[in-house]
Amino acid sequence: MPTLESTEVAGTIKTDSLPDFTSAEYKDAYSRINAIVIEGEKEAFDNYNSIGKLIPEKAEELKKLAIMEMKHMKGFTACGKNLGVKADMEFAKEFFSPLHGNFHKAFEEGNITTCFLIQAILIEAFAISAYHVYIKVADPFARKITENVVKDEYLHLNYGQEWLKANLSHCKDELMKANKQNLPLIKSMLDQVADDAHSLDMDKEELMEEFMIAYQDSLMEIGLDSREIARMAMAAII
Amino acid sequence: MFGLIGHSTSFNDARKKAMDLGYNHIAEGDLDVWCSAPPQLVEHVKIVSAIGKTIEGAYIDSCFVPEMLSRFKTARRKVLNAMELAQKKGISITALGGFTSIIFENFNLLQNKQVRNTTLDWAKFTTGNTHTAWVICRQLELNAPKLGIDLKKAKVAVVGATGDIGSAVCRWLSNRTGVEELFLVARQKQPLQELQQTLQGGQILSLEEALPKSDAVIWVASLPKKLEIDKSLLRDPCLMIDGGYPKNLDSKFGGSGIHVLKGGIVEFFTDIGWNMMEIAEMDIPQRQMFACFAEAMLLEFEDCHTNFSWGRNNITLEKMDFIGEASLRHGFSVLGLQPNIEVSIA
Repeated sequence: MPTLESTEVAGTIKTDSLPDFTSAEYKDAYSRINAIVIEGEKEAFDNYNSIGKLIPEKAEELKKLAIMEMKHMKGFTACGKNLGVKADMEFAKEFFSPLHGNFHKAFEEGNITTCFLIQAILIEAFAISAYHVYIKVADPFARKITENVVKDEYLHLNYGQEWLKANLSHCKDELMKANKQNLPLIKSMLDQVADDAHSLDMDKEELMEEFMIAYQDSLMEIGLDSREIARMAMAAII
Repeated sequence: MFGLIGHSTSFNDARKKAMDLGYNHIAEGDLDVWCSAPPQLVEHVKIVSAIGKTIEGAYIDSCFVPEMLSRFKTARRKVLNAMELAQKKGISITALGGFTSIIFENFNLLQNKQVRNTTLDWAKFTTGNTHTAWVICRQLELNAPKLGIDLKKAKVAVVGATGDIGSAVCRWLSNRTGVEELFLVARQKQPLQELQQTLQGGQILSLEEALPKSDAVIWVASLPKKLEIDKSLLRDPCLMIDGGYPKNLDSKFGGSGIHVLKGGIVEFFTDIGWNMMEIAEMDIPQRQMFACFAEAMLLEFEDCHTNFSWGRNNITLEKMDFIGEASLRHGFSVLGLQPNIEVSIA
């Protein structure tokens, strides 16, 4: 039905162009975004090793995932160096601290469901969505590294999904509860980095949508129905 | 399996529908929340055709609303994400309904084949324009006589003549219907002249010139917002077929002597157990739907899994014949004027 007045649609259509990777504004924002990514991968390394302690029979597999995360961390460290940017690790540690705290509390209580929800669903979906958006506006060096990382991250998302799927009958309530506590943290983390992400030409709106797609897909994969997922997603906007 | 990608006609309708379906998290959100909402596969449906063939399909709401049209990036994402979802769900042929195909074409989304880790396969999608064009032509042929208009002696204007549907309609009217005079109306001169050349006929007129002279007007372009027409100058009777989207002609032209028919709408011979056509504001939502949606069903009924309608000006008379025959065989009929109009004419 190509029946629209072309003037009604968006005025002029902008062609996608890449940002200036050498500008002071870009580098300043990159120092925090790059740090978040590096810290996120480090958290993932620690978290998968921790989950391995709670499921000793899976410890070897989880260790392999953790090693991949360490490899990603090194890749992203190289991305910062390539642009001559020093990552603001202090900012990133603070940025992750609420989620980090919740993960450790769950770990100490031996709560595998919450640990998987935080690491394998929320953090992985957050990472995948951010990487998908970033790939389109990244410098050539970082784009190559990020493309390879995304392929691995899908494996990680899968790993947590499989465990939760197999255990859904007795972990559903816990999953819902953990989601209610932790999904709002993801939302506020996104809000915190929105301005810096904008400086890298990454829209907050698109980041949120990509996150919701990855999040929804993984919950669907676990075996939740669309109404349950809708109820869980509600926590993101309250 | 066939798929339909649709959307609500306004933000308010979308929120209401989302609330009905239990998607409170987006129903209660503002437009920004909707801009970030993923597409939803909201309904599965099983359909048995008039000759007993059974198919299954799914309705995907892209979470697009017309209020997003001014946000280019948002509109683009809504369409591509809905298409990706259709492909991920293993749907063989999906129709792009409402603004979806318009956005696809106007924003040249052909260059966006990669959506995350999915490479979109265009062969799995159809604009549904071939069926829409055929339905509009049949609506003219079946309803003009009911108003006492003899098409062989009639002057017919096609507004939006150079578009994908418009040019197909012109070809059909020239070659099959055989109207006395065909008026070609569109904004750009060059494509109009090219169309006139390929048709070897038709008269290029401005909208203002064409309207008072026409016994029937087929609109396949949306109505210019500032258009002011003196209704007393129009012919009586005058059949107007509203093939544009959204359908808003009756607000401008309704009245005695002018008969506005919703164009490109078909009715299935029996009720379909779905809820989603309510959001498209059909009069009989259990049976009526956009012809473009029905095209995906027809292609599934015919095991014709290909992008039957794709690109611009690829609609041939043979393709219209094929989809038209399938349409009738499987139990679709084109929407006609209200019976009371026929009675008053008789």
